Amino acid sequence: MIETMNSEGRRRDPLSFPSLFSIALMSLLVLSIPANAQEYRSGWDIIDSGTSEDLYSVESQGSEIWAFGENGIMIMSFDGGQTWELGESLTSSDLTISSSGYGSFLTASNDGTILVKSTNDSMWSDITFDFGNELIHGACLTGVSEFVIVGGNGTIWTYEMQEWTNRSVSGLDLLDVSFLDSERGIAVGEQGTILFSDDGGETWDYRDAPTEASSSRITDVEFFSEIRAYAITDEGGVIKSSREINTAVGFLWNMQYFESEGNSNNLGENLTSIEIATTNKFLLSGKEGYLSMSKDGGNIVTRQTIPLDNSTSFNDIAMIDSFNGVAVGSNGSLLLTERSGEDEQIGFEVMDFSEFGNFVDYSKGMLIDGLYATVNIVMFGIFLGFFLGVSLSMMKTSPTTLKEISQKRSLTVVRIAGVIFTVIGTSLLSHLVPIIRNLGLDGWEYIYAPIGIINPDGITGDLQFENFLFLILGVSLLLLGILLVSANGEYKKSHFNIRGRDIIWNPWGVRPLNFIATIYTDIFRNTPLIVQFLFIHFGVQIGALIGDPGAEMLEDSSNFVLSFLRDDILSNRACVSAIFALGLNSGAYQCETIRGAISAIPSGQMEAGRSIGLNYMQTMRLVIMPQAIRICIPPMGNEMVNLVLNSSLAMVIGYSELTRKAKLINAVTFQVFWSYGMVLISYFIVTWTLALFLRYLENKTRIPGLGISGGN
Amino acid sequence: MSNVLTIVDMHKTYAGGVHAVRGVSFDVNQGESVAIIGSSGSGKSTVLRCINRLIEPTEGEVRLRGNLINTPSADINDVRSRIGMVFQSFELFSHLRVIDNITLGLRHVRKMGKKEAEAEALEVLEKVDMLDRKDAFPGNLSGGQKQRVAIARALAMKPEVMLFDEPTSALDPELIGSVLKTIRGLADEGMTMIVVTHEIGFARDVADRVIYMDKGVIAESGKSSIIDNPKTDRLKRFLSSISEED
Ligand SMILES: Nc1ncnc2c1ncn2[C@@H]1O[C@H](COP(=O)(O)OP(=O)(O)OP(=O)(O)O)[C@@H](O)[C@H]1O
Ligand SMILES: [Mg+2]
Repeated sequence: MIETMNSEGRRRDPLSFPSLFSIALMSLLVLSIPANAQEYRSGWDIIDSGTSEDLYSVESQGSEIWAFGENGIMIMSFDGGQTWELGESLTSSDLTISSSGYGSFLTASNDGTILVKSTNDSMWSDITFDFGNELIHGACLTGVSEFVIVGGNGTIWTYEMQEWTNRSVSGLDLLDVSFLDSERGIAVGEQGTILFSDDGGETWDYRDAPTEASSSRITDVEFFSEIRAYAITDEGGVIKSSREINTAVGFLWNMQYFESEGNSNNLGENLTSIEIATTNKFLLSGKEGYLSMSKDGGNIVTRQTIPLDNSTSFNDIAMIDSFNGVAVGSNGSLLLTERSGEDEQIGFEVMDFSEFGNFVDYSKGMLIDGLYATVNIVMFGIFLGFFLGVSLSMMKTSPTTLKEISQKRSLTVVRIAGVIFTVIGTSLLSHLVPIIRNLGLDGWEYIYAPIGIINPDGITGDLQFENFLFLILGVSLLLLGILLVSANGEYKKSHFNIRGRDIIWNPWGVRPLNFIATIYTDIFRNTPLIVQFLFIHFGVQIGALIGDPGAEMLEDSSNFVLSFLRDDILSNRACVSAIFALGLNSGAYQCETIRGAISAIPSGQMEAGRSIGLNYMQTMRLVIMPQAIRICIPPMGNEMVNLVLNSSLAMVIGYSELTRKAKLINAVTFQVFWSYGMVLISYFIVTWTLALFLRYLENKTRIPGLGISGGN
Repeated sequence: MSNVLTIVDMHKTYAGGVHAVRGVSFDVNQGESVAIIGSSGSGKSTVLRCINRLIEPTEGEVRLRGNLINTPSADINDVRSRIGMVFQSFELFSHLRVIDNITLGLRHVRKMGKKEAEAEALEVLEKVDMLDRKDAFPGNLSGGQKQRVAIARALAMKPEVMLFDEPTSALDPELIGSVLKTIRGLADEGMTMIVVTHEIGFARDVADRVIYMDKGVIAESGKSSIIDNPKTDRLKRFLSSISEED
């Protein structure tokens, strides 16, 4: 009786939690010591252009390169851009437009001046044309001496066999045009205008710009290949179109979100042009000395160092092949690169990723970012999952049956409720019948109807969840209504004799809360997590549904926690989706774990709680749950560790957590073993810290007198 | 003398078809202590649990101070808080300290504040002689101590009647005494109670009335003197089988 009551029965681990926890924290800190300063040299070399006029555009055909500029200046190089000479002056207009292809060069000015030449001909022919009052903004060759011109107020002209034909559309200013071959072309312009032609420019159809760019000026477009086209907006955005299973390039356009800019869709630069080197590699030019490149289709855009000061405006880039290229800009600036402008890192220790120290120096920053991202979704995922798990497990174990609910009320009330439910259920369902009929399904195809009524026209973002809700409510209210109407006050189960077998039909024994929770857990436990990720992110777009309004609500908060929630969680759609996918899924599994623990609590505990007058919920909350949660800490630990490990699936929705970072590191360093090895260690640290915490929690909450005792 | 409990023609058939109680009727008056004895499986626990509706009687009436309580419209939580129940296996809340076991009902059913509830708890702990162990966890108590805490837990709610279901059957012989002493103390103070017990001596000394159940019916009942002078053969045989065991 003298022993201190507080420490009664608590076990102590030889390695206490605090000491192990600090070891784990230390490992994290060691990983995050800042990298050594590195020196960069520009991947661009300055070339003497022989002029100080502004250069507006540049084109190459093989090693023959032409640049055009202010006051009709034209300069050329025949050695891949090393040396340049001034061309004969043919006009005094600013040559802002150019195109090349089919062995020809074309340059033009806003006022309608158009000059064309072929590579094996030193003479330019003047095809200047009067476009009325409209300025022209873009041109593209579609064949030898054939081209398309676009300009103000929907102006489109084609030039074929020495003939001008007006193909104008009614509309806004068109700013650029690009053809893949002699047939397929894209024109872009003001307020998100995108036009598509597949007959060499004779007829044009409107295409939808991505909603984020629907009011932007699209200033430059490149129809690069059968599978990819890119365009830029003057706000610093990049949009792209890819070939999808049944759609050619040019139909569907997506806004590019830049992982390198914190998943923003805006580079914050005044872009002037985009030049595509390969399907996934492009260069961007802009005002204020901006040159940049992406090697992965725009996820990561890296700004390049330039050998000039930032007052230079770069106007155009021409790639001779996928590495060699020329950039031109204000005051006759002309740069040449042999490595797509990529910065050279100097110092022997920096570039050499085959040395482990250098590799770690390079990758640890990215790993820490990834770790942080992983911890974010894991933390919130665990909260959501635990909350759901506890709620669902309580719903699942709820003993209240329809019989008990009905018995509490008089038969008249039950029957009237039945009539009301039947009427509501029927009207909800009859509202849905035309919608389902319109889906055009046959036979077994109807099993997909629930998806069809939510999103009948296949356009995401406008999902009609109320239809799904009505379906569920309608069916359950109708069935419940019929049952209640048929009540005769006995609430007995019925026996049917089918071929000598006794079939028991007991709808009154249905436990409504259990029923709902069972449907939930069955859905989430019988579908793959990766599909849940894809469906929640791309299908339901929960980031847009919940994240965006959430971030808006917290717009003005300066509170530390709230602004963290807004900036790091809610504004990142992939993060919101990942949290929901992990949380909703884990909730279903945690529910089963907790339910198992609940059924391990002796039934006498519930009776004891009820016998002192606590109601069912109070007994659950105060007596059963506290004991059940303690029992299930070890299996819950498993669930949580699983959740951490499953979080790596978030990479499929483009969330830059640890695993995705490993891929990115690998793409730069080509050190496969080390990249994935380091990620492995990082995961271990996270899950191990979690496991330690759970072990600590288990000891801390151990109930004296339970579990194994009696010495060795 | 006013009736605290009235049981009229109670029947219970379990889901599996066992007809455990077949028409039991009796009253319990204010301040009376009633012992129910009978062989194993005779339906004693079933009767007790039907009274505070831990299980629902299939037929019959249970009235607490004249009010029918086995109807869906009765406020079952209120009824239960007025009937104290002590279980054979104690059923203490193992995650809570002794004192918190007792304050739980006071705070969440009687809606008392923490201070008030604790003062009340200390009072009943004193009564069952467990004050010195108020901060222990149930797992660190002996069986007899556990049962006394369980009695205190029921007592704290100031019940109008206490039901004991074999309160000493799970205890070692040397621990039985302290629990019986506590129950006897309550009976002396005038607590109304029903005790299901196998302790024949205790029934004779403490109970005002003894009910002998056999196969789901009351085979004999009367003053505690029937233990010494059984009228029916069944009770005679039961009593002699018990004394043989001793
Ligand atoms: N939950 C149950 N389901 C089905 N049958 C039950 C249930 N509980 C008890 N019975 C049966 O009902 C009968 C009476 O049981 P009860 O527990 O009331 O007896 P008892 O007199 O308390 O016996 P004991 O002295 O052993 O505690 C027994 O035949 C028992 O098997
Ligand atoms: Mg019993």
